Amino acid sequence: MKIFAYLAIPAIALVSCGNPKGDAPANELFPYPIVQETLDNGLTVVTVEYPSPGIVAFYIIVRAGSREEVEPGKTGFAHFFEHMMFRGTEKYPPEAYNDELKNIGAAANANTSIDRTIYHMTGSASALEKMFELEADRFMNLSYPVHAFKTEAGAVKGEYTKNYSNPFMRLHEATMAAAFDKHTYRHTTMGFWEDIVDMPNQYKYSLTFFDRFYRPEYTAILAVGDVKPTRVKQLAEKYFGKWQRGNYTPSTPVEPSQTETRYAHVQESGFPPYLELNYKAPAFDASTVDNAALHILLTIFFSERSELYRKLVIEEGVLRNLGFDAHFARDPYLMNVFASFKEGKDMQRVKDEIVQKLEEVKSKPVGKQLLEDAKSHIRNSIIMHMDNPSSIADGHSYFLWVSGDIRFFDALMKKYDEVTPDDITAVAKKYLVPEKLTISTISPNKEGGIK
Amino acid sequence: MMRKIAIVLLTLLMPSLLLGQEVVLLKKPVSSKTVVKFMFKNGSIADPKGKEGLTVLTAALMMEGGTLGYTKPEIDSILYPMAAWYSASADKEVVVFTFEFPSVYQDAIFDIMMGLIVKPEFTEENFQRVKSNQLNYVEQVIKASSDEEYSKMALEEMLFHQTPYRHMVAGTVEGVKSISLADVEEHYRKYFGVKNVTTGVAGAFKDRYVEKIRQGLSQLPSHEIQLPELPAPQQPAGIRVRIIEKENALGSAIFAGFPIDVTREKDEFVALMVANSSLGEHRKSYGRLYQKIRETRSMNYGDYTYIEWYKDGTYHQLPPSGTPRSSNYFGLWIRPVQIGESLRSQYPELKDVSIGHAHFALRLAIREIDLLVKNGLTKEDFEATRRFLKNYIKLYIQSPEKELGFLMDSRFYNRRDFISEAGAILDRLTVDDVNAAVRKYLQTENMQVAIVTDDSEAAVLAKSLKENLPSPMTYANVVKEGLPGEVLDEDKEIENYKLNVALVEITGSAKMFIH
Repeated sequence: MKIFAYLAIPAIALVSCGNPKGDAPANELFPYPIVQETLDNGLTVVTVEYPSPGIVAFYIIVRAGSREEVEPGKTGFAHFFEHMMFRGTEKYPPEAYNDELKNIGAAANANTSIDRTIYHMTGSASALEKMFELEADRFMNLSYPVHAFKTEAGAVKGEYTKNYSNPFMRLHEATMAAAFDKHTYRHTTMGFWEDIVDMPNQYKYSLTFFDRFYRPEYTAILAVGDVKPTRVKQLAEKYFGKWQRGNYTPSTPVEPSQTETRYAHVQESGFPPYLELNYKAPAFDASTVDNAALHILLTIFFSERSELYRKLVIEEGVLRNLGFDAHFARDPYLMNVFASFKEGKDMQRVKDEIVQKLEEVKSKPVGKQLLEDAKSHIRNSIIMHMDNPSSIADGHSYFLWVSGDIRFFDALMKKYDEVTPDDITAVAKKYLVPEKLTISTISPNKEGGIK
Repeated sequence: MMRKIAIVLLTLLMPSLLLGQEVVLLKKPVSSKTVVKFMFKNGSIADPKGKEGLTVLTAALMMEGGTLGYTKPEIDSILYPMAAWYSASADKEVVVFTFEFPSVYQDAIFDIMMGLIVKPEFTEENFQRVKSNQLNYVEQVIKASSDEEYSKMALEEMLFHQTPYRHMVAGTVEGVKSISLADVEEHYRKYFGVKNVTTGVAGAFKDRYVEKIRQGLSQLPSHEIQLPELPAPQQPAGIRVRIIEKENALGSAIFAGFPIDVTREKDEFVALMVANSSLGEHRKSYGRLYQKIRETRSMNYGDYTYIEWYKDGTYHQLPPSGTPRSSNYFGLWIRPVQIGESLRSQYPELKDVSIGHAHFALRLAIREIDLLVKNGLTKEDFEATRRFLKNYIKLYIQSPEKELGFLMDSRFYNRRDFISEAGAILDRLTVDDVNAAVRKYLQTENMQVAIVTDDSEAAVLAKSLKENLPSPMTYANVVKEGLPGEVLDEDKEIENYKLNVALVEITGSAKMFIH
């Protein structure tokens, strides 16, 4: 599983339009036609024609992730279920499914995150129909014996075990638990260890989970590469047309407003001290400039080109790294500024400098050139990433899981162009405040100790 | 309507106006992005004794500083709006610098790009910063981020003992500590010359752009580059295990391997690719090991084998380019399996187990390799795996950057285009070719094994391995009750399968990568 794989390249998630000089229409930035259609049963089908002769990236996005794990004791289940999707059907038991995949020669896998689960295959465009057939079969007819279910839980435990050696994984667990009280973002996509150990006993619940979420209204198909929209739609209708709608609507708990700064800490010697300032971020929303303005703000103040990076990393050398993550999810999640230290003694001072920077922008709008450079940086980043079918599918799938509609890609791009210095000031005042902050730390000390 | 675009692959070996400069061109006429790569044949084997880590430090410093024409802040300011990026990547025998930028900036970035390669500015401040980060990596980060990568690095140190491949590319603690700025400057002059560089360009570009790059590179020193000789690594005598113990490990991470004298240069390598894919294709569920260890027995997250270096396998589904090597080894990656302490806490029925699953998993994997050597691939398995690889290797080169990288690596192996040539070799391959390659290169008597595990597991595991004690698999009841009889029967054979263990030693984590 790759948690937040998308945000490893946030510039793709949040892109802007125009050519590098910003004076051309959006289609010069991404000049490939995007066609979205909806089948009668509610399944969304999107095709992006891209010149990758003979190659197609075929993605299926299910809008169910750890966000949907509302019942106690079921954390990590969306991810576990992703594993179960490889445990076969009557027509294609696991060995037969594997044989077919091997025959196609595709790079195929799946991953789960907070808001969605993605199943992806990249391979020969001539195998597109077989891809549809295989995927439709397991999405509609998944059927695994109880023993296979119990056995798969060991693989998930193995995944947790391999991740555990990384202190960032443990900090992520602690941060989510500290920052959220009610919302399911409180637990990580991997889930709590005790729930993972108990997974073999949850066979019945797995049937419920499949019945709830593996339905056309929760799902989108995205095909990128050497394909035509008419062909993709025809195959979607042929193989997924009989898929029945479900009737479940999750009720994700609403997170109460945070009222004071919170703290998360991992004690780890033999590792560079680390600080994260996690602020509650707005949910994805392409109807306002808030997402775009926050992304631009973080780019201006915490990218490698920023004043603070130059001062703390290059000139003073107190930090090994300084950066940020902007994650705009289905519900309000976290965005952060992070710093890796040479010595823990500098942590409080650096935290104060970061906060001071954020306070300054609340009364002093950013310069026009800084703003334009940041917009240009973000615009050009999309050109840099969109050079093969898998990367394009990775980037565009974000809009399908977070909004259910690929057209929000254009809508959000327009918002980037609209952002003004006053917008930056406004979002700083609204979101980057102490009562929305969770301070996360890694150090050899028992307590984080940062105020 | 989208234009139907013909992507033209054009690779050229241009006549040497400037001696020693090899050029690989990949023209993509409608690409909006340009990739330029400079591959220098040097790598960590060029590190002087006692200064392990010098090559990568030199390469990193070249990319982290300014040039004679631009300061670092000026470069950052110019490149930032372009979203241009550049980086250095080093391996045992090469350093590759990669520049990627929107094609409209080809001219705007040119002087900076060439300056960083031919006139880099080495300042004391930058040197101290980069050195400190590198030291931190070899001292702490490699040991505390992923036990899987940790065990892989430990294995390489064991495999290449007494050869220039021995130390991590990032160096050793004492090696990095001893490097001075003067060492970097001297190393740069000595090992980054016009005679050991290959240039690659991908995207939409004019021939004169390439000529400009070639002219720029002529400013590099033109002396012959002397690299140390690379003796063939010795086959280990028996199975030699190093257990690295650390606090608070949740599992046992295992990497094992032995040298094999075959690279992409030989057609036999492609035959071995088929056998390797069938046994343990990277991150695929089709492999025999994956099927037996993960799918059937629920022991871990995955199990794979390799016949060449696979950089950052933990993070990549498909292989990166830029790490060609003349010395390969067969590698066995068993992802972390449960330790006794953890099993005891999970299930009441396992409260009395004294040891985790590492010994059993290692036995199972080595026995499976042994079965492959003895029985070979069936015709059916051969055909299915060959068909898979013929399609799959095309995915290695999905982006222009990847395609260019693989073309440049091909030159290292005296090939023009390994991916397309491998496709042709696969076409004419027979099952006998594959099984002959298996018998020639694979064996199970001699190998090095690195295991990173918890301090509660190390001693009991060492004793079990050393004395070849039976290692019955300890399943939780929920798994055991549904296992078919043939699996339990096979378990009986595995638990007593004799390994040719010659040495088992336990090392404290703090002692690793010091010299």
